[in-house]
Amino acid sequence: MPENNVYDAIVIGSGISGGWAAKELTEKGMKTLMLERGRPIEHKSGYVNAMKDVWDFPHRDNATQQMKADYPVLKRDYPLNESTFGMWANEKENPYTEVKRFDWYRGYHLGGRSLMWGRQSYRWSKLDFEGNAKEGIAVDWPIRYEDLAPWYSYVEKFAGIQGSKEGLDILPDGEFLPAMEMNAVEKHVAPKLKEHYKGKRHMFIGRSANITEPKPEQDRVNCQYRDRCWRGCPFGAYFSTQSATLPVARKTGNLTLETNKIVTRILYNKDTKKATGVEVVDAETSKTYTYNAKIIFVCASTFNSTWILMNSATDVWPDGLGSSSGELGHNVMDHHLKSGAEGVIEGFDDKYEYGRRPTGIYIPRFQNVYDDKRDYLRGFGYQGGAYRGRGLEIAEFTLGADLKDALSEPGPWKMGIMGFGEILPYHENRISLDKTKKDKWGLPVLAFDVEMKENEAKMRKDIPAEAQAMLEAMGAKNIRTYDYGYAFGMGIHEMGTARMGRDPKTSVLNGNNQVWDALNVFVTDGACMTSASCVNPSLTYMALTARAVDFAVKEVKKGNL
Amino acid sequence: MERRELLKQIAILTGGAFIGGELFLTGCKSGASLEAGFTPTTIAFLDEVAETIIPATKTPGAKAAKVGEFMKVFVTDCYTKNDQEAFTKGIVQLDEACNKMHSKSFMECDAKQRHDLLVSLEKEAKTFNDGIGKENEGKKDEERKSVHYYTMMKQITLLGFFTSKTGMTETLRHVPVPGRYDGAFPYKKGDKAWAE
Repeated sequence: MPENNVYDAIVIGSGISGGWAAKELTEKGMKTLMLERGRPIEHKSGYVNAMKDVWDFPHRDNATQQMKADYPVLKRDYPLNESTFGMWANEKENPYTEVKRFDWYRGYHLGGRSLMWGRQSYRWSKLDFEGNAKEGIAVDWPIRYEDLAPWYSYVEKFAGIQGSKEGLDILPDGEFLPAMEMNAVEKHVAPKLKEHYKGKRHMFIGRSANITEPKPEQDRVNCQYRDRCWRGCPFGAYFSTQSATLPVARKTGNLTLETNKIVTRILYNKDTKKATGVEVVDAETSKTYTYNAKIIFVCASTFNSTWILMNSATDVWPDGLGSSSGELGHNVMDHHLKSGAEGVIEGFDDKYEYGRRPTGIYIPRFQNVYDDKRDYLRGFGYQGGAYRGRGLEIAEFTLGADLKDALSEPGPWKMGIMGFGEILPYHENRISLDKTKKDKWGLPVLAFDVEMKENEAKMRKDIPAEAQAMLEAMGAKNIRTYDYGYAFGMGIHEMGTARMGRDPKTSVLNGNNQVWDALNVFVTDGACMTSASCVNPSLTYMALTARAVDFAVKEVKKGNL
Repeated sequence: MERRELLKQIAILTGGAFIGGELFLTGCKSGASLEAGFTPTTIAFLDEVAETIIPATKTPGAKAAKVGEFMKVFVTDCYTKNDQEAFTKGIVQLDEACNKMHSKSFMECDAKQRHDLLVSLEKEAKTFNDGIGKENEGKKDEERKSVHYYTMMKQITLLGFFTSKTGMTETLRHVPVPGRYDGAFPYKKGDKAWAE
């Protein structure tokens, strides 16, 4: 590290957004410091469970009572298991306050949740960027689809997104690698759906950041259909910081990476109205350091990016950098899920799947588009797929050889779809600093006061009902609808709290992701989102980050930052 | 098949939730170590119970998959204290039921006698579980009554066997690195299921 700790740029966080920021900055010649609060995980060698079989785990990948006691939040849903254990933030060291229940699933390590993400990658549509303005919700996005389209193309080509071109306005096509295949049953039901709904509903392969062709220039092998992505891929077949952006950033020679460094605040000079650097605490030694740079990219994950802003420049604004808008910490969003339906598809007993495809199918939003009108705003998409389970439901074989045989054969084909619904940005859904509670390093923690409202509740009723109707159209039998219940945060698509906008009085960031009150500070992760769409957000963070870096470096070169 | 799908299907087959695999437990305490309670004799006994549920056929059964040992690990680490107690009491209760039916201990019985006993326990467990299902409605987890001990043994047998190396590679088909995907792979009756 340079003796005086001075860099051209600092990137806070090493997840999807931070990785992209580091790659773009270093490729543009900026001497860049990347700060990660957690431990390092090396590509391939760090994926300690990647090649294990289920029987290699003492509890066969189930959580123990001790794990549940140590991870009271994580245990609320599927992420607590043996194969990804150690990939989630330590909850004892990193508590938070739930004014209302909020499920916060955090990855505090190099690569962040880019290692555990669902990899579904969709462009937002024109409708998504225009919705707020048209409907008078929150504030208008300062950008439109056309502003981001070239950047979507740019990040898709590098990340590697497999998918099929469908020519739909509601879900724009991208720069795709060859699509993964739909299975026999999915190919059978997709045209039935389209026909029944007269070309207004569509089902196709879920677009995902799993590569279907090798990328030798990135040392990445195409997907091997193991479907063990969450443990880290030794083939580098899905996009993560480790597999894709970090190696490129390192290769430039312009990157300095520091792990176990928790950024406590951005240092702000009120005379120049710019940030001068950051203060960090070393997670292992608790020593404090400062680093200086011309520009700072805040990519610490949605709520932690806002937490850093809240702790910064408090001598000027008591509620932190960006709080002059009155919107810092507000407008928390996620996608609500866990409701849908499934049914049995008959007639394919002579077909099975070979290989474990790491994506399902996608049915884009059809509510409040075309001539469709609902009693709620916005809408939802479905993810799911057809699969052949095992013969476990044959209850008459209670035990013995008959039971063993029955359980050793595949069961009927089932088709299931689950909704991912948009949550509107509500000012009163907010996070704030709880100064009465401290983390392991004595830092104040976040308090969550967030809830779903009427629009979401109405949409949620519609999801299983429409799923049932669509499964009927597909010819499914024994259709079962479900709503397993959703708690805010469970979508792990948290967004908002430092939104982009057109007016510093009502938004934290401008159209280039600059903090209005400190133009050399950029926030490009989920915190910047002005609305949530119903599609998975990570691809949009990639595009926004690449776009913001391009702008930032040009500004630096012009001498404006 | 995904682990969660396996747990769900075992739960359906055994008429309730998968014990130790609950996703939405709140406020449960970590159970005290029970390892001392699982002696080699107990494990041999549980192996035979498991073998009666999933016997060796053309392929090895639960005993070869060391399901008795797995029961020890799973009950000790993944069960709540209440469920651990119900399970360990169940080991004694099963032998008592066996003595009542066959006038000898489970270990002394032949395969047919063991099978007949477990068939009767299947019915007893169903009645018992239906009963406590009503009692448990609306109660907190720590106040809930445990399901029938046989249900627990059967659940862990199915989980333990179908996630064991022999279960996954000899009774089922296991391909760790498929390398490609075929969504219309030919299937004929009798072909084994994929292990995952």
